[in-house]
Amino acid sequence: MPTEHEPASISIAGNGNTPPGDAADPVPPEYGIAYPNVTDGTTLTRDQVFVADAIVVGTGAGGATAAARLRDAGLDVLMLEEGKLHRTETFTTDPGTMIRRLYRDAGTTMILGRPPILFAEGKCVGGSTVINGGMSWRTPERILLHWERVLGLEGLGPKGMEPYFDEAERILHVEPNHEDTFGRNSHLFLEGARRLGWPVEHNPRNMKRCVGLNNCALGCPTGAKQAMHVTEIPRALAHGASLITNARVDRVLFLGTRAVGVRGRLLGEDGRPRCLFQAHAPLVVLAAGARHTPGILKRSWLRGRMIGRGLHTHPNAKVIGIFEQRIDPWVGAHQVFHVHRFLEEGVLIGYAAVPPGILAMGLPGLGEEHAALMSKYNHMLSAATLVEDQSEGRVVLGIDRQPYMLFNLGLRDVETVHRGVALTAELLFAAGAKQVLLPFADLQSIDTIDDIRRIYERPPVAATIELMTVHIMSSTRMAVDPRMGATNASGGVHGIDGLVIADAGALPSSIGVNPQETIMALALRNTDRWIDMMGERRRRGAAVAIGAGQP
Amino acid sequence: MASESTDGSLVTVSRGLLARARLRTLRAVVAAIRPRGHGFDQPIDDDVVAEVAESIRHLPMGLRVWFETGLALVEYGTPLYARRMRRFSSLTPAEGLALLSRWEHGRGLRNALVRGLRFLIFFSFYQHHRVLEALQIDWPGRAATLIRLRAELMHREAESDPASHAH
Repeated sequence: MPTEHEPASISIAGNGNTPPGDAADPVPPEYGIAYPNVTDGTTLTRDQVFVADAIVVGTGAGGATAAARLRDAGLDVLMLEEGKLHRTETFTTDPGTMIRRLYRDAGTTMILGRPPILFAEGKCVGGSTVINGGMSWRTPERILLHWERVLGLEGLGPKGMEPYFDEAERILHVEPNHEDTFGRNSHLFLEGARRLGWPVEHNPRNMKRCVGLNNCALGCPTGAKQAMHVTEIPRALAHGASLITNARVDRVLFLGTRAVGVRGRLLGEDGRPRCLFQAHAPLVVLAAGARHTPGILKRSWLRGRMIGRGLHTHPNAKVIGIFEQRIDPWVGAHQVFHVHRFLEEGVLIGYAAVPPGILAMGLPGLGEEHAALMSKYNHMLSAATLVEDQSEGRVVLGIDRQPYMLFNLGLRDVETVHRGVALTAELLFAAGAKQVLLPFADLQSIDTIDDIRRIYERPPVAATIELMTVHIMSSTRMAVDPRMGATNASGGVHGIDGLVIADAGALPSSIGVNPQETIMALALRNTDRWIDMMGERRRRGAAVAIGAGQP
Repeated sequence: MASESTDGSLVTVSRGLLARARLRTLRAVVAAIRPRGHGFDQPIDDDVVAEVAESIRHLPMGLRVWFETGLALVEYGTPLYARRMRRFSSLTPAEGLALLSRWEHGRGLRNALVRGLRFLIFFSFYQHHRVLEALQIDWPGRAATLIRLRAELMHREAESDPASHAH
């Protein structure tokens, strides 16, 4: 990649990181990963111009996958990442430190609407894959059939997508947890489902020999979670791709209806813009996430009606069971099991161990009242229901030119949340809970299984529900008709040549399960199409548009 | 500015990040709503205030301004909302708690403000090492053990099958 600034390699020893250990004092193999061709944007003090064959904006599940695939095809790839590169050996168990380092806005982003929904996403090399729970579910078959048969997106059916799911699982090293990593919360969750006769899914997770530290959401210091910063990013870099960190993209550059690059700012250590950069390439891949990708498109004065529309949020409602016996919920692997029995109703039931500081934020009361609840922390099983939402929100630009998410939970989704919370409470009581704390302002706890009916007796009012999410999607969704989605059946922005989307925004609809593997499989499929189009263009001159129109 | 915390460890009290008056209000809010009783009587208010001030520094600009404005509302809103001709920081913790409890159960911006404050204060409080000790939680110790365990497992696996272990 010819640039005005030669990318520097990050050396392990030179950054005070722990070098790989020997047999006597071994360290996890992920500690020794090399990151060549990385430029720390904070070290650049003058305006810069970069040139490549393909620019990839964002290094999460979609961006890193697309970048590695493009590099494998022989393209000169430049990755641009707004966050920093944090090596595995720098991860700690301190939530305050890690949330400030790895999360956008220190984890305080809100989706505005009824009710407001707390949203967390990664801002670092590897994106949200660094902070997710490592769930690697394929898209449910009924969703893929809907995409192919109802939405007319050819090749997105179960058969067409199977090789891409296989490939994604190979990259991610997907495996279930070993039994020796199960905590008491896992055993209780299993027991509750067994007593109700509900089948339980053993979660496939992207990891190599997880030892159950349960620090997934703060970055995995054991190196077990195979996030993008230990898989596709170092692989792409080792094969010659380049990465610039602390580089925030503001907008896409165009020549007529052809994307020719991006423009943005290099950030200082304090996160403030220091100098400008431009990057030029015939292929621009946006993978900044379902909030910021439409933000970049809107700042680029693209006025496609569907850009930012169709936002889905996968709302999560927390349900906490308090048990007589001690559970020690912080001991044992994160989310070993799910209940998928109610997926067709739009309800997924899971559980997770949450650090006390984070759990405390969601419990009611102040002062002594709050202390009384938190004194039972070691007796709590924190479960949750994830809802496959039907409502659609929007991403809009604020007066500060930043993207904001607007989403109102519709009546049908409110009812699905009630159903999911009721089912989760039923599981917890079946497991032996003495009290269940609910995410409703007008019904904060129930003490017996018979009280579950009170959930349904309340009016279905969205404003009384406390929700959070870590999955947003479909804000630049794929659709055959430009009036239905911002991108076409290959993830290319309708009407623009050389501008494609490779993040959760491209998902045609809400999928009801953790989206990491779906994002990767779609990125693999679409990247193959872009590579074919670029090859075709080379053979036939510039007559073939990359990504634009229908392939 | 670095100051000595209550337990003797050095913490960074970012006084410059919040105006002195807002810091006084924040300290009064912490005293009012902090968990107490049930094993949570650790004298760590200064550490919590410092941690909250540091967290506010990492919020987006809009939220930072909102917090500053909200703290001013708390400080000077007492005549209107508590019928007391005193600033919030002059109230006793019990009086402060009573006022903020009403706001917590109300609606609109005051409810959102209390939710935001409890969000930051409870997070800082319950992640304090003395509180974690009281809860008998040793996440860092467990991390050290498990990092080593996995390293040994992977090392053994690499020795038995070097081909599958190549990065």
